[in-house]
Amino acid sequence: MKFNKKVLYILFSMILLVPLGLIGESPAWGEWDNAYYEKVLGFIPKGIENAEGVQSFMSDYSMKGLGSVAGYYLSAIVGTALVFGIFYLIAKVSKNAKYH
Amino acid sequence: MHIPDGYLSPETVVVTYAVALPLWIYGFKRLKKSLNEETLPLIGVLSAMSFIVMMFNIPIPGATSGHAVGAVLIAILFGPWIGFVSVSLVLLIQALVFGDGGISTYAANSLSMAFIGSFGGYYMFNLLKKYKFAPFVAGWCGIVLSSVLTSLFLGIQPLFWNANGHPLYFPFDLKTTMVALVGSHMIFFGVVEGIFTSLVYSFLKEKKNISLKELAS
Repeated sequence: MKFNKKVLYILFSMILLVPLGLIGESPAWGEWDNAYYEKVLGFIPKGIENAEGVQSFMSDYSMKGLGSVAGYYLSAIVGTALVFGIFYLIAKVSKNAKYH
Repeated sequence: MHIPDGYLSPETVVVTYAVALPLWIYGFKRLKKSLNEETLPLIGVLSAMSFIVMMFNIPIPGATSGHAVGAVLIAILFGPWIGFVSVSLVLLIQALVFGDGGISTYAANSLSMAFIGSFGGYYMFNLLKKYKFAPFVAGWCGIVLSSVLTSLFLGIQPLFWNANGHPLYFPFDLKTTMVALVGSHMIFFGVVEGIFTSLVYSFLKEKKNISLKELAS
């Protein structure tokens, strides 16, 4: 099978439409910030309060200094590039795997 | 369904990593075997789609939101191991670069969204293969199963880990969590996953006559 380039159009259209994902401002169920627990329970569970997450580079799919839409677009592009990059690397590493 | 850091007890974290590790290793081997000049671009694009489709947060009643995952699509085209590893890689990028889902909870998130989703969707698809609606039901089923496992991980926390009457980690009980998470995935996000899976699947199927799985095996 030849790689069907049209599948790329689907991906590109999805990336173009990605700011639609910003419409829902509410967080996903179970992914609240700590203020939510303070409000609902009156306390923040210790483990959640003391959680040491990593300082992520583009936390919440946003970028300092960029508007939310621009940050979201940039996140979509960076994410896509990283996925492609990883698969490219895996392919390179496993070059000895059967290639016809 | 991306469980953040601090939501699961260290014991849960250890167990989920212990279970996920051998699965990742085996799945990764399968993925490496499947990658060739023809499959690599397609698996890459489908994985990128999984990343993007998870950015489409859909608001639902109850001041909450959710999204499709895209694991089932890869699983029914290339097999469940490929779906599992590909979506695990997507989840890793989300956790490390975008702070979506924790690091300590990465194994749990991979088991629910990537593993159970891929395998559940794959077997459901094979069961219904004859029917046109198979990809839709497979997509729905896969993500609903994912939400069941996520609910289990979260819901058992207050059952076992408390101090002074206060839950230490995720605070809501199993029933509340199940109703909220599984319910919303059955009614909303499962349908979205089903539509996404069947749209892209039918698009890809039309254009070719050999099985992608054969190609990948």
